[in-house]
Amino acid sequence: MTNRLRVLRAERAWSQADLAQRLSVSRQTVNAIETGKYDPSLPLAFAIAELFGQPIEAIFGTNGGPHA
Amino acid sequence: MLCRPNRFTWYLLGWALLSALLALVEALLRRGELVPGGLRGVVALLPVLPMVGYFLALTRWVRSLDEMQRLIQFEALLIQFAVTALSVMGYGVLAETGAVPNPPVGNLWPWLWLLLFLNWSLGQVIVRRRYR
Repeated sequence: MTNRLRVLRAERAWSQADLAQRLSVSRQTVNAIETGKYDPSLPLAFAIAELFGQPIEAIFGTNGGPHA
Repeated sequence: MLCRPNRFTWYLLGWALLSALLALVEALLRRGELVPGGLRGVVALLPVLPMVGYFLALTRWVRSLDEMQRLIQFEALLIQFAVTALSVMGYGVLAETGAVPNPPVGNLWPWLWLLLFLNWSLGQVIVRRRYR
């Protein structure tokens, strides 16, 4: 899976720790999602989408699928 | 820090220290032959009781982690389970042949705890590399 988490975070000038705090997860988890080493669960993906005010498919996708 | 200490982390430390303290007290009482014969078994089991609290706190600590940290702990505990089981099994069969010392089980349990925690740490080092 691919995602635009790093871009969306940078647009808001949030650090990984800031985003982690907003999502109630660890900074390592945010980093692993951004680098594609961990795919979040559906509830966490929804929480991320809600936080950035965008649909899930605008943030997460597969190679060739939505958002890419 | 990868897993921030929370109140459950301190509960874990507290229960483990209480168990160690009771094990020390029990050993001193036994050495001084200060416990009546009928109570020796009960006193000997005292260090085990705090470990019940330890494992309850461990469960609550794991539940307090986020989803990826829980996955890391699960995989680390799998590695711990495998390495510890194979080590104990390997040592056991070697001890039966006389290739290594075969001490009584009563002398081995502190080493088993050490092995468990070392292998849990090993598991975490291995698994965390994947998500770094």
